[in-house]
Amino acid sequence: MTGLMREGDPVRRLEVLRGTTPPRPHDARAIAALAANPGCARRALMDGAGIDKDAAARHLGFPAPFGQSPFAITRGNAFEALVKADGCAELLRMLREVLGLPIAEVAYHDVENVGAHLRHAHTRALIDRAARDGQDAGTLYDHPLLSLGIAGHTAYLEPDVVAFQLGGRFHIVEIKSFAVIDGQADPSAVAGAARQAAVYVLALRAMLEELGHDPLMVSHDVVLVCPENFANRPVATLVDVRRQLAVLRRQLARMTTLDRLLDGLPDDLTFDLRPGEDGRPTRPVAELSDALRRTTARYAPDCLSTCDLCFFCRDEARQEGASDLLGRQVRDELGGVASVDEALGLADGTRDPAEGQEEIARLLRNAERLRRECLT
Amino acid sequence: MSLLTSLARLRALDEKIAQPVATVRHCHLAERPMVFIPLKLSGEAAAPLAAMLGTDRGDPRLLVVPQPRNRDLRFAWAAELAGVLLPYVEGFLGATETVERRNADPYERTVDAPQIIVPNQGGVAFARLLGRSTRFRRPDGPYPVPESVPLLGRWLTYFAERAAYPGSSLMLAATDELGRHWASGQSSLEDANLAALMSWITTGPNDEAEDPLVWPPAGPATDPGFDAEVLAPAIDAGSPERVAEALRTQLEPTWRLMWQAIDLLAGLPEGASVAQRWEQDRGSFSGMAAHIAEGAPPQARRDGAVAAAAKLARMERAQAAYDVQRAYDDPLVMAEYRLSGEAFAGEVIETVPDNVEGEGRSRKLRPLVVIKTDDPVRLAPGTSLGTPQRRAQGAALVSADDGLVTVKITKGMGRGRTAAPGAVPEIGERVCYTSLTDDFQGSPALPEAEATPWTHGGPPQEYTPVDEDAQEEWS
Amino acid sequence: MGDRLDELERRIDGLRAAVRRAMRARDGATARGLRAELRSAERAWDALVSGEQPPAKQEPPRMVTVREQVHQGLRLLGAAAQPRLVVAVSDAFFGGTLRSDRLTSLRRDEERSFRSSPFGRPYYLCAALTDRLSAARGLLTLSTWPLERRVVGPLSPRVDFLTCAIAVAGRRSDDERAVRLLIRMARNIPGATDGGLGPPDPERVIAAARAELRVHAERDTRDRAELARRAAAQLDDAARLFGAATLSTITKEKAK
Repeated sequence: MTGLMREGDPVRRLEVLRGTTPPRPHDARAIAALAANPGCARRALMDGAGIDKDAAARHLGFPAPFGQSPFAITRGNAFEALVKADGCAELLRMLREVLGLPIAEVAYHDVENVGAHLRHAHTRALIDRAARDGQDAGTLYDHPLLSLGIAGHTAYLEPDVVAFQLGGRFHIVEIKSFAVIDGQADPSAVAGAARQAAVYVLALRAMLEELGHDPLMVSHDVVLVCPENFANRPVATLVDVRRQLAVLRRQLARMTTLDRLLDGLPDDLTFDLRPGEDGRPTRPVAELSDALRRTTARYAPDCLSTCDLCFFCRDEARQEGASDLLGRQVRDELGGVASVDEALGLADGTRDPAEGQEEIARLLRNAERLRRECLT
Repeated sequence: MSLLTSLARLRALDEKIAQPVATVRHCHLAERPMVFIPLKLSGEAAAPLAAMLGTDRGDPRLLVVPQPRNRDLRFAWAAELAGVLLPYVEGFLGATETVERRNADPYERTVDAPQIIVPNQGGVAFARLLGRSTRFRRPDGPYPVPESVPLLGRWLTYFAERAAYPGSSLMLAATDELGRHWASGQSSLEDANLAALMSWITTGPNDEAEDPLVWPPAGPATDPGFDAEVLAPAIDAGSPERVAEALRTQLEPTWRLMWQAIDLLAGLPEGASVAQRWEQDRGSFSGMAAHIAEGAPPQARRDGAVAAAAKLARMERAQAAYDVQRAYDDPLVMAEYRLSGEAFAGEVIETVPDNVEGEGRSRKLRPLVVIKTDDPVRLAPGTSLGTPQRRAQGAALVSADDGLVTVKITKGMGRGRTAAPGAVPEIGERVCYTSLTDDFQGSPALPEAEATPWTHGGPPQEYTPVDEDAQEEWS
Repeated sequence: MGDRLDELERRIDGLRAAVRRAMRARDGATARGLRAELRSAERAWDALVSGEQPPAKQEPPRMVTVREQVHQGLRLLGAAAQPRLVVAVSDAFFGGTLRSDRLTSLRRDEERSFRSSPFGRPYYLCAALTDRLSAARGLLTLSTWPLERRVVGPLSPRVDFLTCAIAVAGRRSDDERAVRLLIRMARNIPGATDGGLGPPDPERVIAAARAELRVHAERDTRDRAELARRAAAQLDDAARLFGAATLSTITKEKAK
């Protein structure tokens, strides 16, 4: 363990962090989630090292509070099958109606017809041909397999469909089973779909660039397909994901420069779960928990819906008495007073304000006086 | 959220028990509320799975769709729901009072109104979607449904719309109302979990409240683990009894929590303006009932531009009125305005009850009151003021400095040469004055619907339900 | 009986919780064991509450075999089709009892039968062939069709869909299921409906589908002829029906 490795080889360093635990491949959802809390060093490091946060959380005794219902999964699969049935007949209708796809453009390629191990190469070949030949190329590419480099690892990504020949540009088609009712859908669901689609756009652009084509042949407008109202009939909408792309790019750039985060860490620090023969973690929980605490998390209640490790970090925030627990609004309201004790001390007058805290201290003391007056 | 509430949250976190943020109850509580806990099938917009509902805590009704993928069974469930909700709603239409109006014909208003209480905002959203998916149905034609179903849809749509109306109590979400009266030591995101919030208020935080095995979610989404391990096998087994029993286990704990929540709220004395807002609710409810009785079509899918703008303006005014009324009703809410300098309270140390302004004919009685306060006053001289202690009175700020504020009473002290008895506070009395007042600007000048400018889509076509609405698949 | 039911319910609740705890801990073995206990408790509860053994699910009598029903459906359609379309057609026109999940192993069974006694049956349900001459995913064809009809070029899925739509429209029926199927197909063909809500006019559907077919026909026919030529030259009987093994296609690809 020398300083040499530390300076020269962040990839190697991340491998040490992961230890003997097999890397967890990133899917688009996981990559999209990276952008959800970009300020969290713990998450950046764990994701950068390809650590299975879900397994770590379970082992620590803080399993993540989310799962997917089999009903939701079945529904999602059935809807996707409907959209793609009969040579993507429904999808073609929508692309024609919404985006003016010419009638002649119907060529369909099911990339999955080749073996799983060839899908990525086959996708590359098809996309390359489309980008080169233009007019004669295919229109719909079903089950393509893209890739994206994440902190030295390759993540393989499966967009639902890639469509070409909409004004000579590639469009990512994202099929989601949440409903659009009277023209409105759950905004958080749409935002999630946009973040995920942005990952595909980025991956496809990377592929075109590698192949020597213009990456901007991939449109930043993605085609979001959802069921309309309460029926199963699909409806397509264009969603501009430029903003999501920008956030994602920034976050991925951060992940490739994890060196700075790694620099502050002890050389022998590892998040290894030490899986036994049966794959179950054998590392003492206290040891793993200590290791994780060497990195700084930025817990916010939003993590509860996006990060596997949320309950662990929330517990830590509780032990530290961090006002982050109460959410962004409270934190902003407190204007930089980070701990519960500190805030209450200022309110009670048992603690003197540090420099720059005079105003918030005055407000807190006043608030305390008013609460006392009204409640006694 | 204000700093005062943030402080209450910090205190709750420190003392491990929720802290009050209200001293009176700001919502109406019906004598016989209808508690309604809907569950929906995961992954679907509004496919009902079950509901537990009723007005008697000892006797909940459980309605179940034994095979949620079957649309006929879903409509049968909606008809069953209508069989419980409609008699409850219509039960309030019998007793009415005649209300006289200035410049308009008198109208009949029911003396009481229904109140539906759901666990959370998800419950309100479900009611809205269920209303949307049923109100256009027809009892005849290609996809016939029982007659009560479209009527249920119209009422659910109405209640869900009212739930978004500030200060209305016709449909309440339990977590929202609890959160308006108590601050927990967790984030507002976590407050949406009824079990967790209730535990903060009653016994203190408890991790079990987040364990779906101990406290199943209060709906409308079910626990994915329950779906996989219990519900799916029960549905696949084709045993309606098993499905019903499984869903009962998910609903019963929430049912008990809901009544506990109602008890908690009932334990607070009612705010002074609550009755007035409930009166508006009764008026609105009567209007809706009359609308239906006149055979008007169901609510449109979307509002036209003018209707939408008018609704928005109405809601903004209602919100402003609700905020002011709560502050006047509740010193702890008023404290937020005292903190921000828009209100102040203190002891009267000096009065000039016979102070006058002007000469001769324009000579007016303007009693002066000097108040000693610890509050930071951020009001300019001349600002008009109101006071919760004498609601009909108007005052204006004369001067404020160094903890001494002088106000003059401008209105509501009687018409005589001297102030009416009790109109001027006595020395030693505690009083509060605020720049918040309950008189708002009139409604914004909006064109008639027929004159909607083309920039806003032009005049809307009068809404007539079309076959497409009725035949829309419900799969 | 009530006591026994109560006891069973308590036991079921306890077991359910235990199963889910085991699942959460990813302890599959324990979960499986517990689940088995749970099933038996649930069965006992069902039996007790209904007072008898639960009756076996009633299924309509199956006069025609699954194989024959699929054959009927494909013959009507006249083009390569996905199982769900075959099921819908069988349902709409032949009072079929098919379920798509029953069709998954069909092709494999057919291939096994063919290999053990080639051409022993009058027809086989077989695969469509991709441009690599391997079996296309999720498409069924009939062995009695010419090769050109059984291969899929890039335009073929669309051409096949239009062909199927013409076949469905040509088979008039007032049956609700048939009308619904036609509505679903027609809405995806430009000009096939007047935008109204009533059932589409079959003549109009046919005309619209033919009009779009004319756009694709030339290139599709050319692609198919080329594929059929390659299949005839390169594949043995079994592979011509059921597709070349993927491995051989891979080596061929590499040799290029």
